[in-house]
Amino acid sequence: MSGPFNRWDQAKASTRFPDGLDQTYDGLAKGGVAATGSRRRHVGQFRAGGRAIRRGRRALAPLSVGWRHRELILAVLRRELADRFSGSALGWVWAVVGPLITLAIYTMTLTKAMQLPAASAHGSTSSYALSTFVGLIVFGLFAELCCRAPLLMHEHAWFLKTSIFPSETLAWTAVLRALSYAGISFGVLLVFELALDGLPPLSILLLPFFLVPLVLFLLGMVWFLAAIGAFTRDISYLMITFVPLVMFATPVFYRVTDLPDALRVLAYANPLGTAIEIARAAMLDGVWPPTIACFGFLVLSLAVCRGGHAVFERYKGILVDVI
Amino acid sequence: MSSDAAIRCRGLGKAYQLYARRTDQIKQMLFGSFHRFYLEYWVLRGVDLEMQRGESVGIIGRNGAGKTTLLRLLCGITQPTCGEIDVAGRIAPILALGAAFDWEMTGRQNVLIGSAVLGLRRSEILRRMPSIAEFAAIGPFIDQPVRLYSAGMRSRLAFAICAHAEADILIVDEALAVGDAAFRGKCLAFMESFRRRGTLIIVTHDMGQIKTLCDRVIWVDDGGIRASGGVAEVLRLYDDATEAEEDDGIRFCFDAAARAALSQAAANRRRTKWRSG
Repeated sequence: MSGPFNRWDQAKASTRFPDGLDQTYDGLAKGGVAATGSRRRHVGQFRAGGRAIRRGRRALAPLSVGWRHRELILAVLRRELADRFSGSALGWVWAVVGPLITLAIYTMTLTKAMQLPAASAHGSTSSYALSTFVGLIVFGLFAELCCRAPLLMHEHAWFLKTSIFPSETLAWTAVLRALSYAGISFGVLLVFELALDGLPPLSILLLPFFLVPLVLFLLGMVWFLAAIGAFTRDISYLMITFVPLVMFATPVFYRVTDLPDALRVLAYANPLGTAIEIARAAMLDGVWPPTIACFGFLVLSLAVCRGGHAVFERYKGILVDVI
Repeated sequence: MSSDAAIRCRGLGKAYQLYARRTDQIKQMLFGSFHRFYLEYWVLRGVDLEMQRGESVGIIGRNGAGKTTLLRLLCGITQPTCGEIDVAGRIAPILALGAAFDWEMTGRQNVLIGSAVLGLRRSEILRRMPSIAEFAAIGPFIDQPVRLYSAGMRSRLAFAICAHAEADILIVDEALAVGDAAFRGKCLAFMESFRRRGTLIIVTHDMGQIKTLCDRVIWVDDGGIRASGGVAEVLRLYDDATEAEEDDGIRFCFDAAARAALSQAAANRRRTKWRSG
């Protein structure tokens, strides 16, 4: 940012401070509802460089937030996990048993009580169970974050109001927490797959590539919902009705191939549906997931992440005043 | 302008938005560019200040004058409505009593989070943990949930965390009010030594503390800086004003017209009192 303080910036840039809280709020409040003031904090950061660098940095802003505050994010995450797992007598057992019970009941209902969809019915009950489990894990991530994100700012209101807690890190913590629960379920799934079908296909190694866009998507979603949810609690009530609907609109209990052709496009347009199908392809089928869907998912995730972060940054300045 | 400023504010202002109804807030968010749905309450307006590195500054003023809002702006907890703030260095704020503690967590867990908020690494925090526990001097209670703490114990822990943050700027807002004499003495000694390496900002109603610790005093009144300068000089002005001015609620009015009417009424009352007396 050029301005009367440029000389000063350069003078400061030569001083070294331990990193961690270093922040560059470059016109962050710009465009906020009533916030036109600016706040700059620069500690040992070189801010030279052309427009291209600045633009690149802005595109990576959602990720650099996570990196800059990694120590804090991990500290909060560690405490939340400890809370969950050591707060209850059988902490880890619940995390494993929970998804197992869900899976057992769903599989029982859908294979015995109801008619299976055509494509899914070709396989055995066990392969149907595994495919549903993959769907449930990915959808569980989404559902937990959807329900929690609108309340995220309220949950930490005291911290945000009385300390210099960087509110944008809460999305990272929430996503990482949900991922760790999903990780436990994933472990259970792997054990089941080994027991039922033997070694999983090699394509399972592609899973990290699928995880990256999924995390970006969830991050963007959490930022967006947290910002909106801070203003009104209606969003969280809305989510209670919205999430179960999405569950049936998403191929959790069926495969995309069960749908008629016309509807398949719609299922792939749903980012969750794509995510679940990619995960199934990589983990169970051992085939390359549909390339166009993968590419579309990646582009959409980047857009959601960037957009969600932009919305959050825009309202961040006044969030503290409204919660 | 000196290049050694730690904090510099120009034309700083903060208006809180007061909404009559909860729904107005949503309307403001959606249609804010067409119509204003809130009343503005300017807590601070047109504040220019500069603090040099190594300076220690006391901020005084009546309740509701805007001291705490000023500190919150300096810390970056809220964003200014207008104006600019430049802060060079790491801030450790000891704001409200007990500050941001999670009441269900133990003192030790709170130290981990609180120090991480201030920008310390986990390894650094763990290395300093014994020293923090010793400074707070709350014995085995450091392993108990914070909800069991007394106000004094919370403020001890909060101060201990900030004292170990290796900050460049230390902000202390009435944090010692509930500490006992022994702890206060320890904190004063710490602040005295901190003065030599960093910038110290104290908000307090204890004029003795200001006299011992500060080089300069800023008197915040009615959302602006009423006086700023040497300790003795500003404190004298402040004492005179405290004696002369009534303790009324006029400054809390957010409607300019109502405020004018009230202060007119107060002036009339003073006049009649003077006449009858």
